[in-house]
Amino acid sequence: MTALQRWGFVAAALLPTLAIYAFVRLYPIGDVLFLSMHEWNIISRVRPFIGFENFVELYGDPLFREALRNTAVIAFGVLLITVPLAMVLAALIHARTASRLAPFFETAVFLPHVVSLVPAAMAWKWIFDARLGPLNAVLSLFGVSPKAWLFDPVLSVVCVMVLCSWQALGYAVLIFLVGIKNLPASLYEAAKLDGAGPIQSFLFITVPLLKPITLYVSVVTLVAGFNVYGQAFVLASDAQGAPGQLVRVLVLDMLENGFRNYRVGYAAAEAVVLLLVVLALTGIQFGLLRDRSRA
Amino acid sequence: MTDRHAIATLPPVGRRSVLARASLAIGAGALALLLGGAAQAQTVTVWSGYPEMEPFYKKVGESLKKKYPNLQVKVEAIPLREHEKRLALALPSGSAAEVIELANSTAQRYIEAGLMKAAPDDAAKFVGNTAYFDDFIRKTATVGGKVYGVPLFRGQGALYYNTEKFAKAGLSSPPKTMAEYTDFAKKLTERDGSGKATVSGWSMRLSGGGAGIAEKFWINMFQFGGNLIEEQADGKWVTTYASEAGRKALRLYVDNVFTDKVVTPEMPADADAFEREQTAMFIRESWVIGDIAQKAPKLKYGTALLPRGTIVAPVFIYSGAEGEKAKLAWEFALAANEPENAVWLLDNVGWLPNRKDVDYSPVVAKTPAFKAFVEYPKDYAFFTLPAIAPVEEILSRLAARLVKAFADPSLAGNDAAIDAFLKEAAAETDTILKRANLLGTK
Repeated sequence: MTALQRWGFVAAALLPTLAIYAFVRLYPIGDVLFLSMHEWNIISRVRPFIGFENFVELYGDPLFREALRNTAVIAFGVLLITVPLAMVLAALIHARTASRLAPFFETAVFLPHVVSLVPAAMAWKWIFDARLGPLNAVLSLFGVSPKAWLFDPVLSVVCVMVLCSWQALGYAVLIFLVGIKNLPASLYEAAKLDGAGPIQSFLFITVPLLKPITLYVSVVTLVAGFNVYGQAFVLASDAQGAPGQLVRVLVLDMLENGFRNYRVGYAAAEAVVLLLVVLALTGIQFGLLRDRSRA
Repeated sequence: MTDRHAIATLPPVGRRSVLARASLAIGAGALALLLGGAAQAQTVTVWSGYPEMEPFYKKVGESLKKKYPNLQVKVEAIPLREHEKRLALALPSGSAAEVIELANSTAQRYIEAGLMKAAPDDAAKFVGNTAYFDDFIRKTATVGGKVYGVPLFRGQGALYYNTEKFAKAGLSSPPKTMAEYTDFAKKLTERDGSGKATVSGWSMRLSGGGAGIAEKFWINMFQFGGNLIEEQADGKWVTTYASEAGRKALRLYVDNVFTDKVVTPEMPADADAFEREQTAMFIRESWVIGDIAQKAPKLKYGTALLPRGTIVAPVFIYSGAEGEKAKLAWEFALAANEPENAVWLLDNVGWLPNRKDVDYSPVVAKTPAFKAFVEYPKDYAFFTLPAIAPVEEILSRLAARLVKAFADPSLAGNDAAIDAFLKEAAAETDTILKRANLLGTK
């Protein structure tokens, strides 16, 4: 078999997969880019080209700015809560591997990740309820006055952040746990001989060696954070009779513009901004974590 | 057994003949199954944005069974906002149900795009009959001289008040002026030892998302003589809420929240709160009567007209289907307006049927709360949501601003700040109208 034939065979074998991938993954992205520069009301057959007008309007749109700010705060908040906490929990669970309760610890931490979003969010909605919620009841035991968790503009964002972190934690712990289990035991033994305690071992061996895993978990968590929608929708939707602060996030704003205001081009422009933000942040994360780990 | 017996009595025949007869029998059986299946497959699918309407559509289906014994009615009723989203996706792709229940303000863009079909002659004649429907309903069913929607029901607001709480506060009748609304709300608010409101005197829509907040604001502003936007003679629209009426309405809200503290955004609100006796009064449509009957049948309450007038949001049955499906869909729409079904709708669901030649008095006698919805003076004014493409965007963007205003204590007692807020919001509304080429000059 000549080299050309080998290449031909490889191309023929890969082509169907690549074609499907291009159709279901790349084409929609291209279409979103295309739509973002057009005006389209989802019904009309005419889609006039308007250049960057949608982006210019986005720049001055207070609802978009609010959505972008809320989304960024939630995404970074979830990242800052989840990654360190997951690493510590993974280390603690690993330290108790020999315990009979180890599987229970792992399951307990991972469970929120597999629980369906809507019932989980409904449960949290009850927890955060200003009048009947257990959170305020517990806080009142410490003399803290009741808070309107789901109404206050700041606290409602915190509530979404807490729910997202609670969900993301299990997956992050699982990945970190796999990483920790693969770290060479000899390093810990050597550190122990040198008089290092568990905390020192964690800080100076586990954390640095987990950098590739941390990079992966950070990217996945941040991207998921920027795509937050269901949590905000269930916790603070426009359910009649259930007051709540609408936490406007990017995906929710896109849906509103696309399917309620019939401005698909405008919603596509928002999607492009979201794509660029996530791409830029992922690039920065790669730069920060990968380069240092190589050094 | 019968078949076996029949075969046994057949005269002797050759093998090929038996095979031929067997094939014929199988073919005939298959044809019968096919035809029978076709008869069974006579299905009408209804897409609704009001889950409480499902039993009504089933009832309409039952009434059609005399003519179509095998008719099956499939009702897919989901919350209104989700219903609107699925229509936005399904209508352009031709995959929507054949019976579509929708407000005319939302249907307008689909009609303009040719995605809703004009009603056939018999349905158009029915809708155009002045004996059956008011001018307003007939006018909103018609676009460009063609009838597109068959009237179904209308959302119409009125005051609901808890009579026991009124009596406890020494109030013998519902408020008749906006000044009385404020005064009564203060008297009706129940507070704990620290003075914090535990039962709101007047539940107002202060938070959440969506256009409903702006719609409710419009109802209150209407009592002061104002509208959010108004149509000009040339068919264009102007923003009219940065005005005296707008100021009075917004002042009413912020005073209720910050000055009089008769309601707070985090308090339970709307029908649920009223049914649980967590609020003394609120403004809502007639469906709440049916809701109360189901969820709080022992609640002592009354309904009353609003001081000046109220919103009317007519809902129609539309169809984008063609051929046999369309024929059945329009028949279904007409059957929904049969007197028996119209009375059933009012009695069991609580939405107000639009057909006016039907005797609803037995239902009103049984449930006097309907009086405020069907008996009103001649000068009682009505308004409706404009049937223009950007209406949802106008309302939802104003709603987003209003939520912030209702939570802003700096607006309390500060008319200059209220005016500035309204002016800024009105400028945004103007921008939306201008983009849609609908902005007129005052």
